[in-house]
Amino acid sequence: MTKTYKEINQKIKSGDAVVVTAEEMIDIVEESGSKVAAEEVDVVTTGTFGPMCSSGAFLNFGHSDPPIKFDHLWLNEVHAYHGNAAVDCYLGVTRKLDKRPYEYGGGNVIEELVSGKEIRLRGISDTTDCYPLSEVDTYITIDDLNQAILCNPRNVYQKYDVAVNSTDRTLYTYMGKLLPNFGNAHYSGSGCLNPLANDPDFETIGIGTRIFLGGGVGYIIGHGTQHNPKNGMGTLFVKGNLKQMSPEYLRGVNYEKYGTSMFCGVGIPIPILNEGIAKKTAIKDEEITTEIVDYGIPRRDRPVLGKTNYKDLKKGFININGKEIKCSSMSSLYYARKIANELKEWIEEGKFLLNHPAESLPTDTEFHPMRQTSEIEFVKDLKREAVICYHDCDIKVVAEKIINQNINHIIITDRHNKLKGIVTSFDITKAVANNEKKLNDIITKKVITTTDNEPVDVATRRMKKHEISALPVIDDKNNVVGIISAEELM
Amino acid sequence: MAIINVSIPFRLIKQIEDYSRIVNEILKHNISFNILKFSTTSSGINLLLEVPEDKTKEITETLRSNDIQVDKKGRVILDEDKCIHCGSCISLCPTDALHFTNKDKVEFYGNKCIGCLICQDACPRGAISESK
Repeated sequence: MTKTYKEINQKIKSGDAVVVTAEEMIDIVEESGSKVAAEEVDVVTTGTFGPMCSSGAFLNFGHSDPPIKFDHLWLNEVHAYHGNAAVDCYLGVTRKLDKRPYEYGGGNVIEELVSGKEIRLRGISDTTDCYPLSEVDTYITIDDLNQAILCNPRNVYQKYDVAVNSTDRTLYTYMGKLLPNFGNAHYSGSGCLNPLANDPDFETIGIGTRIFLGGGVGYIIGHGTQHNPKNGMGTLFVKGNLKQMSPEYLRGVNYEKYGTSMFCGVGIPIPILNEGIAKKTAIKDEEITTEIVDYGIPRRDRPVLGKTNYKDLKKGFININGKEIKCSSMSSLYYARKIANELKEWIEEGKFLLNHPAESLPTDTEFHPMRQTSEIEFVKDLKREAVICYHDCDIKVVAEKIINQNINHIIITDRHNKLKGIVTSFDITKAVANNEKKLNDIITKKVITTTDNEPVDVATRRMKKHEISALPVIDDKNNVVGIISAEELM
Repeated sequence: MAIINVSIPFRLIKQIEDYSRIVNEILKHNISFNILKFSTTSSGINLLLEVPEDKTKEITETLRSNDIQVDKKGRVILDEDKCIHCGSCISLCPTDALHFTNKDKVEFYGNKCIGCLICQDACPRGAISESK
């Protein structure tokens, strides 16, 4: 039994189409089998609502009098990209407000635009013979714009990694706040409601597919950047008219100590053309597996600590080596379901028709890492030999070494080269002032360290964060193998 | 019950007995209380205590007269108009005061909140704030 787009659309127009959400389809296929489901159901709707950083909007302001060709422009003081014609721009959702980077950004501006609020437009120009105006400072609303087009090069990840943190400090990441020592876990995505999970072979989702985007109608205009279907991580490039979207489904968000983004609501209808597609749209949460990744290791290839699936994730716990860890989502399942239901209503009411894609999406694209022609530096490349004192030596010996070797940091070890602490020239000064006699009383014992194979930028960031100027370099057995200090990094 | 944050600055800690000073001072008043959190940081010892509302004043005065710092802590407030039900706060909450309903909406039970405020800076919508 097969159906065509035309037949399905005729049913939609006459109000006879049977439309269910991807969650509802699971029960239908389970109870009646995929053959019956393919006959009975015409469309399955999907939905997702999460932070989608590769999003933004093309805006056209119309010409001023006298005309201006922007060199730089800001919307509510958020810098927009201007590398287009005179009064066009692209406002990206991750662009931060310079003065309050974790509080406001491009995503918030788009939400406010869609809400109908007035937005300050400020722009400057070098001026030309044809564009003599040097400055614009005005207020606009979305109605004043000629075009406002949401255009997102990468949305709707098929699934995403689960983030945990193995380090002893809290991390603020694009996967939210991650507590130390595997204190929590964050995941993203709607699992069985996810659009691409319901059409993993791109049999119906393709270029030109009409979709729910931000509460309005949008289109898929290609595969998204970093599209990686071989690994079950396909993405979509989408666009739509911002003017008919809703602020309920475009929400600016700001992550502390990370930056800004926007939640974007996307829903995609899957026409049930045959039994095979019916079967695929009955995918369950437990069939969508994903990897648990340690965000404590700030490298491209972060260690994978295990596997889980969306059923367990939605229950709120994952398991790493027998330890149960509380997890929650970064994206909203409540809104994902709401989007799938809203799209279902649109189709049931005959307001939204399905269409055959103009072209299929690639299924063999790979996601390559960056080619880096300049080598990155590691701690082992810049470290120097550490000046060491034993933990039971006299303060005076330490002081002498500081003077004789003209250094600021002395590493304290035991007789077997195991790290015991660190002493700075300031600690010695303080000891003299306070009449401290024992080395053991003045050493810093909880030492922040680095390792040979850590990139220098990671070590530098740690020093800045802890407001210190040197890190002992240790091996995996706590043996001191060097020191790296601010002087080497300058 | 009210939540108070009690701390002894590091410079006042001279010996191991000082660690129990806070608790001993309160015990003198024969009041039952809960220790929600005990932590030592570079600035001193901090205790998060849950005490009966009507005894808060008495406890605060006793502790302050012993050089111990006390400030009343607020629980958090969830602004439901700002919340988008993502769940970024939920895995952080140690007492499930923030949790999902069976419809996957974020819900907050104020009486379970211990005012640890771990969730506060994790909300991407600024929907969580401390009550005063």
